[in-house]
Amino acid sequence: MAAPTREERTACWGARDEFWQCLDSHGDDAAKCEKLRRAFESRCPQQWVKHFDKRRDFLKYKKKLETEGYIPPEAAGKS
Amino acid sequence: CQPLCHRTQSQPLSAGPAAPERPEPPRLPLWQRAAVAGAVAGLAGAGWLYLRREKERRLRQRRLRDLRALALGQGDFQLQDTSGAPRSRADLLGRWVLLYFGFTHCPDVCPEELEKLCRAVELLEAVPGLPPVQPLFITVDPARDDAAALGRYLRDFHPRLQGLTGTEEQVRAAAGAFRVYVSAGPPDPDGDYVVDHSVLTFLLGPDGLVRDCYGRSRTAEELAKSVRGHMESYEPLPPG
Repeated sequence: MAAPTREERTACWGARDEFWQCLDSHGDDAAKCEKLRRAFESRCPQQWVKHFDKRRDFLKYKKKLETEGYIPPEAAGKS
Repeated sequence: CQPLCHRTQSQPLSAGPAAPERPEPPRLPLWQRAAVAGAVAGLAGAGWLYLRREKERRLRQRRLRDLRALALGQGDFQLQDTSGAPRSRADLLGRWVLLYFGFTHCPDVCPEELEKLCRAVELLEAVPGLPPVQPLFITVDPARDDAAALGRYLRDFHPRLQGLTGTEEQVRAAAGAFRVYVSAGPPDPDGDYVVDHSVLTFLLGPDGLVRDCYGRSRTAEELAKSVRGHMESYEPLPPG
């Protein structure tokens, strides 16, 4: 299976960005962005979809740390 | 009380040529005083600049010794380029090299880092008098990135960008020499997988020593500036 070409990469990133913009404007409500999600999944290899989903979670977590600060999980106490 | 004799404006003390009313030390005109102050400041500034340059030179020398002791990227490697021809470390000597480890199925990081690397090379090409920089990509996914796949992938970036691949052992040895972490993830049902790896661009000097490394946060402009700095201050290693 050949790696995505430059055009395919750009198309995938574009679909991802549209999907993420939709999520941003709907407060991360994935139900409102079904169509864009399907477009994103069709334009990107499955591994990339998973990678970008994880990336989005990480970016949100990072933003949360920057705005709210670090809150240790409740189970902390034994390392 | 009044002084015994006091002079008035119209009666100078001496009868000779007009003398100043009170004896005063000779005063330089303003421009001469400014010139002296300027010269002193200039000397102080020059002295400070010299000392700072000396300190930077000593720091560079020490860093070079540390880099050599670290022996990053030392040891030979045997790989093949995109035309299938064998390449070893010796082929890199005599040139400045910007080296990046990645894989062609990479979702975003590798294309971005390669764009950045190639943009830095372009910026350096625009500076007259600098030696050329060889952009180089070594795959961490030899199972999929054979010579042909690499060639197709790298074509999109920079005409002089070269790629190297090899067998699993050869690639593992080359990545290990640069302390690059490589870990292939679990494959999909259709066999696709991503490879987790250190994201670093290495600068190799003409003597083959790793002179610097750059992470995700550096821009192309910062890369070019840093490489240029290394080129302009390039000194061969101190002995020992």
